[in-house]
Amino acid sequence: MTVRKFRPPNRLASLIKDKGGILAKDAVAAAEAGVETLRESSMAALDEALGEIDRRFGKAAPDRASENAEALYLLASRVIDVSLFVSDAGIDKAAMSLCGLADSCAAAGAWRWDAVDVHLNAMKLLRAHGAELPGEQRDAMLQGLYQVSHYKPEEG
Amino acid sequence: MPEALLPSARINLERATVLVLDDNGASLDILSQVVSGFGVKQLYRAETVADAQALIRTKTFDLIVSDVQMPVTDGIEFIEWLRREGGETNRYIPVILLTGHTRTSQIFKLRDAGSNYVVAKPLTPKVLLERIFWVAREERQFIECDSFIGPDRRFKHEGPPPGTDGRRKDDLPAEVGDAQTPNMSDDEIANLMRPAKVQI
Repeated sequence: MTVRKFRPPNRLASLIKDKGGILAKDAVAAAEAGVETLRESSMAALDEALGEIDRRFGKAAPDRASENAEALYLLASRVIDVSLFVSDAGIDKAAMSLCGLADSCAAAGAWRWDAVDVHLNAMKLLRAHGAELPGEQRDAMLQGLYQVSHYKPEEG
Repeated sequence: MPEALLPSARINLERATVLVLDDNGASLDILSQVVSGFGVKQLYRAETVADAQALIRTKTFDLIVSDVQMPVTDGIEFIEWLRREGGETNRYIPVILLTGHTRTSQIFKLRDAGSNYVVAKPLTPKVLLERIFWVAREERQFIECDSFIGPDRRFKHEGPPPGTDGRRKDDLPAEVGDAQTPNMSDDEIANLMRPAKVQI
């Protein structure tokens, strides 16, 4: 097998050093201000994704057994995408755990509904009160979710 | 390794042409706002890999920031395509991939896709700017072979794994061995460094 090693020109490297520009801290501040304008729409997208997860995969969903785990994975990914404004509530981490659970259900070809229900309940709680919870309690809850999503019955 | 980005560092992305790709509109809006806030004027958005490929065929970019999880064709396949078929002006440009969660089956694929960096979602402006600065300053070699095209994945060169001889031609053995000559004197070391006053 032929392996070619080389250093291609990096245009970004020369552009970023051009005269003028802005301070890094000002760039970050400008970006944060821009993102802040999206708070409302991001929260609406977050609640929409959480609502769809509950409608399709919640305990009361009549056809949840016929759903596929890939759909749950994509919805949980959407929650992470827009959870910038609620990361202090831990929803992003709960959604990551749900992604891991959906991924393992897809690989196993079988649902673990108890684990799904625990995640959905926890995400509702975190959405409503996550930011107000003492940090230790929130971390313990997220750690518990992680253990549930990564539980392998054969390992006991 | 490139140095870290200091808040007082000056960056100029006004003339950079950047492509951002994410299938989730709300997420793409956040990404676009962040990149615009960094001073980028030439920003192109794509919600599908097909749209991104069409842009790659007609424009020259300086940076791509792409989501990983996308339906039909994902970010990993997109970067693999870019590195092989993206045309000479675009196939070697820096790429930052964004992902909220990586499937177990995709961990190695993600490592081998050929991106310069993978950043975790939810995205924060500070982290993304640090990574853009990093990929602009890095000096990694590009590797091109049958199974991989992208920046050298082994950029932390800390020698071969313990107990192995390594696979690189320039890998040195972990054992340093005995000294072949007497220790250098302080004067000899000072002469190597040649410290000197300069007029600024």
